[in-house]
Amino acid sequence: MMRGILALARLDLALWRRSPWTIVSALVPPLGMAVLLAMLTLSVGRQPVALVVEGNGPEAQSMARVLESDTEAYSLTVTDAATAAGMLHDQTAAAVIVIPPGFDQAVATHQATLDLTLNNVDVDFADDIRRTVSRSAAEFDAPQLGIQGELAGPSQGVLLPNPYRVAVAELPLRQTNVDFMRYQVLPALVLLVLSVGLMGTALLSARDVEQGTARVLVLSPQPAWRLVAGRFAGGVAVCLVVLVPILVIATLLRVIAPPVEHWPALLAVFVATALCAAGLGAALGAWIRRARVVAMAASIVATYLFFLGGGFTTIAFLPGWLRAISAAVPIRYAIDGMRQCLFYPDLRGVGTDLLVLGVTAVVAVMVGSLTVRRAWAS
Amino acid sequence: MTPWGAVWEGLRAETAQLRRSPLLLILAVIQAVTFLLLVSLFGLTGSRAPTAIVDQDGGPAAGRLVADLAEAHRSFSLRNMPAAAADAALRRGDLVAVITIPHGFSAAVQRGDTVALPVAVDNVDADLTDDVQRALPSAIIAFGHQMGFPGIRLQPAERDVLPHDTDFIPYLVVSALALDALVVAGVLAAIAVAREFEAGTARVLALSPMHPLVPLSGRLLATGMVSLAAMGITTALVVLLYHVVPINPAELILGLFACVVIFTCVGAAVGGMIRRILPVTALIFGIALPLYIDSGALEPERFDGDIIWAVAHASPVYYAVGVLEHAFHSLHVTPEPVVVDLLALAGWAAVALVGAWALMRRRMAR
Repeated sequence: MMRGILALARLDLALWRRSPWTIVSALVPPLGMAVLLAMLTLSVGRQPVALVVEGNGPEAQSMARVLESDTEAYSLTVTDAATAAGMLHDQTAAAVIVIPPGFDQAVATHQATLDLTLNNVDVDFADDIRRTVSRSAAEFDAPQLGIQGELAGPSQGVLLPNPYRVAVAELPLRQTNVDFMRYQVLPALVLLVLSVGLMGTALLSARDVEQGTARVLVLSPQPAWRLVAGRFAGGVAVCLVVLVPILVIATLLRVIAPPVEHWPALLAVFVATALCAAGLGAALGAWIRRARVVAMAASIVATYLFFLGGGFTTIAFLPGWLRAISAAVPIRYAIDGMRQCLFYPDLRGVGTDLLVLGVTAVVAVMVGSLTVRRAWAS
Repeated sequence: MTPWGAVWEGLRAETAQLRRSPLLLILAVIQAVTFLLLVSLFGLTGSRAPTAIVDQDGGPAAGRLVADLAEAHRSFSLRNMPAAAADAALRRGDLVAVITIPHGFSAAVQRGDTVALPVAVDNVDADLTDDVQRALPSAIIAFGHQMGFPGIRLQPAERDVLPHDTDFIPYLVVSALALDALVVAGVLAAIAVAREFEAGTARVLALSPMHPLVPLSGRLLATGMVSLAAMGITTALVVLLYHVVPINPAELILGLFACVVIFTCVGAAVGGMIRRILPVTALIFGIALPLYIDSGALEPERFDGDIIWAVAHASPVYYAVGVLEHAFHSLHVTPEPVVVDLLALAGWAAVALVGAWALMRRRMAR
């Protein structure tokens, strides 16, 4: 029984090996996503800001030090007013912060201002700058409202009085922050599995119908279900052939570093995702039956599954109706399960994620089998 | 047959081909609309972090603080929750933070005491954590000023360069039009050209008395017109669904037209280079996303530093985003004037046309 299944799986693997363009088709979207993530990592967080210090007293210097020390938030250039205006105009600075002349006297009378001129071209980065400048201004009167104060002040039992009468005791849920790149690399891996499994199996299925090899398969002595199982086994095997080296490299580079006991669950999520993708791909390919259209259809399906599943977006931010749609997208459970395995101390919810993925895989394989068999028969 | 006749016949042949593939046309339009929806999803995650308020005080000062948190630069989407439910939601990943206003908060601040707010943060993603950490002091500053507490010596004074903010999603959907043009026009043209090579008709064309590129131009004209129609539908969606109306419609038409011409030529070049239908969709889709991000799609590209900005100039999407953002919002998102962006697009169109022509000529000669 297994021989027939393995024979077709081997055949599909061989077809893949001899079709470099099919491999390219499946690999380019996740590679594009990886490049995109790298570019986003470079651009998120720090904004270019020019600082003009016109006050020359100790309070002005103190304010300047507060701003200069926040290297996580600002990419700061200390300059004069004319240069800063030029930087704002030619967009080398998104904002100009001015510590005005007479700052020390104004501080003494509680009338001081920290002047911000902001290129508010879109609210996303403009609000980032507004928040950051507000924090710097708050830190001037209340040092514990700075980032170090939030992390190591009241939360460690050290509460200093401040004129705002409110301090923040930040209680991080986990020991370390996961940086943006590491957080987002996981969805890129999911896209890789999705793209290879879905597009690869879809193209092979469509090609069988388009080139007439499906008729030859139907005439073979093997029962149809074994041939279909072989197609899925081939799809999953191709996913794993592509995924395993990337996982090894990512692990060696510490890009992904789950606790040892989480590895089996993580691998189970990957295999279940590959099976879902292969099932959907087989159904799609056999339904559309034309290779040139299948590539575009597979791209669109993979895109929707990926984005609605929380790859590249944070589902909790979305409106209720979109969260409800997302709950019906199997890739969401793949991404949630993988994040739980990688970033959280326990495996809470991974069982549910695996169950949903498993059920989806079974349904996808059944639908895929029916569609493929019908396409072959016709 | 005259060259114009050959172009016309090429156009007719491609139109007939496209009419026989309605699914491809439908998918092209779906692809275009898909990008609008996707950037909207991304835009929704750019602000208003889902945050629980556990108000154990219930006094007037607590109410004031909650109002200030709600108004802190679109930072939080606040939900009042009991402590246990909030903690469970935070651990499930449904919330980014839980802010607890402790018992006796209002009385304490009225007395002049400083109260520590426990803020539990799901610091799984440093980007989200940063946003929360930066937003809290904004709300606290506003709270201190509105409560009229003495001892506050400094406040930020903001002056905006533009009279109003542009929301993130209206900004993103406009730049997504450039991405749409790249993918739709590029894929359709690439498929049309690759088909000629894959089906072997390129050789037949090479044997004809007419230069083979002439009828092929007709085919590209047909895919370009279909792409323009798809862009028209997408632009209509931007106007009708997102209520983003172009301030400079002529600029919009010029910009979109240039985009379709450029990306049709780029697609033709890619199709001629790869000569296979299968990978061209994935290839164009794959390169589109990084090009889109490195084009000022999220914010002016100049803000990302010299290297990224310099690289952006190598892509027509950068100039297209510059033109389209100005056409819709009157925003200057490139340091170059919009006229320069338009001229650069025209230059790109010419280069893409000549490049595609030269590349295909070489391919057909083989």
